[in-house]
Amino acid sequence: MKAYISYFKLKFISSLQYRSAAWAGVATQFFFGFVYIMVYVAFYESGGKNLPMNLSQVVTYLWLNQALLALVNQFTRDPELFKLIREGGISYELARPKNIYFMWYFKVIGQRLANVTLRVVPLLVVTIILPFPFHLGAPESIYHFLFFLLSLGLGALLVTALTVFYPIVALRTLNEKGIVNIMITIADILSGIVVPIPFFPKPLQVISSFLPFQYISDLPFRLYVGNVSLTDGVFGMCIQIIWIIILIILGNCLMKKNIKRVVVQGG
Amino acid sequence: MKIYFESLAMHLKGELEYRVNFILSFLSQILVFFTYYFIILALFTKFDHIKGFTLYEVLLCFSIIQFGFSFNEVFARGIDHFDNLIIRGEFDRLLLRPRNIILQVLCSDSDFVKSSRLIQAIIVLIIALCHLSIEWSLLRVLTLLLMLVSSCAIFFGIFLAAAAYCFFTVQGLEVRNVFTDGGKHMAQYPIGIFKKGFVWFFIFVIPYAFVNYYPLLYFIGKKETIYYAFSPLLVGLFLIPCILLFYWGMKRYTSVGS
Repeated sequence: MKAYISYFKLKFISSLQYRSAAWAGVATQFFFGFVYIMVYVAFYESGGKNLPMNLSQVVTYLWLNQALLALVNQFTRDPELFKLIREGGISYELARPKNIYFMWYFKVIGQRLANVTLRVVPLLVVTIILPFPFHLGAPESIYHFLFFLLSLGLGALLVTALTVFYPIVALRTLNEKGIVNIMITIADILSGIVVPIPFFPKPLQVISSFLPFQYISDLPFRLYVGNVSLTDGVFGMCIQIIWIIILIILGNCLMKKNIKRVVVQGG
Repeated sequence: MKIYFESLAMHLKGELEYRVNFILSFLSQILVFFTYYFIILALFTKFDHIKGFTLYEVLLCFSIIQFGFSFNEVFARGIDHFDNLIIRGEFDRLLLRPRNIILQVLCSDSDFVKSSRLIQAIIVLIIALCHLSIEWSLLRVLTLLLMLVSSCAIFFGIFLAAAAYCFFTVQGLEVRNVFTDGGKHMAQYPIGIFKKGFVWFFIFVIPYAFVNYYPLLYFIGKKETIYYAFSPLLVGLFLIPCILLFYWGMKRYTSVGS
């Protein structure tokens, strides 16, 4: 366990170095958050019936999404892992007397935590002081906030378990584009990063509830704004834990299978 | 111009050599593009209109912007990825040849995978047109064509300005995305739905409003003002500073070596 923790620390500390990239990221995310919110504001000003969330809930949801994007998004891939696979560095990884799946898992989560640490504070500070209706609202209650933190943590574990699949698939395909890109796009829609899940058409909401994606960030954000009740939150967190376990087991199996057939590229 | 088409054909052949990769990327592009529609489609299941614009009017607006953007991604990729030329020092080679420099940059690269987006944009455009009841007239047909052409022109201008920016910074920066992707995202909707300040920005700084807002108002019959129909021509004015900027940047260009 100690070895894995040090992998985590290594990646966390080295990723904290990229500060200027983080500032550029903050600026872009702030801008895009604003653009998205303006579209929703225009929609809400036009009126609508049976809306699943009110405007300030949606705005808060979108800002949380932007502020925590580095932690919960599914499109960040660690280029180093893919480089290992493409250029043969994988042989060193295989030589280490540790479970390669967990080595990668802790690396990925370390990087995610570092990236979000650099971005979250400036985005939250700025969005809290914005004027109505553009500001980040307060959580529904202190309990909702605690549940939010808890399920966000579980969501981070879940998204890591999902994204570790990309390099594992690349062990076979060598190229991270194509099939992985298709996986990411589908996951992106169903995670609610594009549109919050309550705005989905009903059939798609049902399908999505049987898949892991909406439990990454949609559940915690909706807990924060009070769109999900606390009892449903507990239920949701149980599903999160089940998915984390299933995905880690699946990832391990696939890793074992793919490692057997791995071809070391170059020396 | 002949050179351009020849190099286009060459790039196409090159890409088709990796057939499976081409098909997979093509499919994934269709999916990526679908996520954009998904936002609009999902939101319109909950709302009837956005500031008076219906689903198909928004889709029309959207497809015009996407058409211009993906047109440039396919046919003007050399300019889109201009920083590659500068970083690798390949731009020096182009400078040595006795041909128009912008034409040569255009010839340097193209990306046919992105044509999936172009085709999708055309399909959405047709779907939107079928669902809208438009009183067709010669002027309306002309307006539609002007909108499509000006959409291509405006992104060409933006790409060119962004390329000029690379002369100074060498690396294309994320800031650029704010103007291309962010601006594009807003221009997918009829610009009048946004707050006044943004509308001014999109009239005087990046004139998206003349691409798919004012002409759209005329086209769908919301406004009868005739000169709205010809407003896309104003985008031509936007191109002038972009081209000048590019040449001005080129004068100050120092090679990074190769």
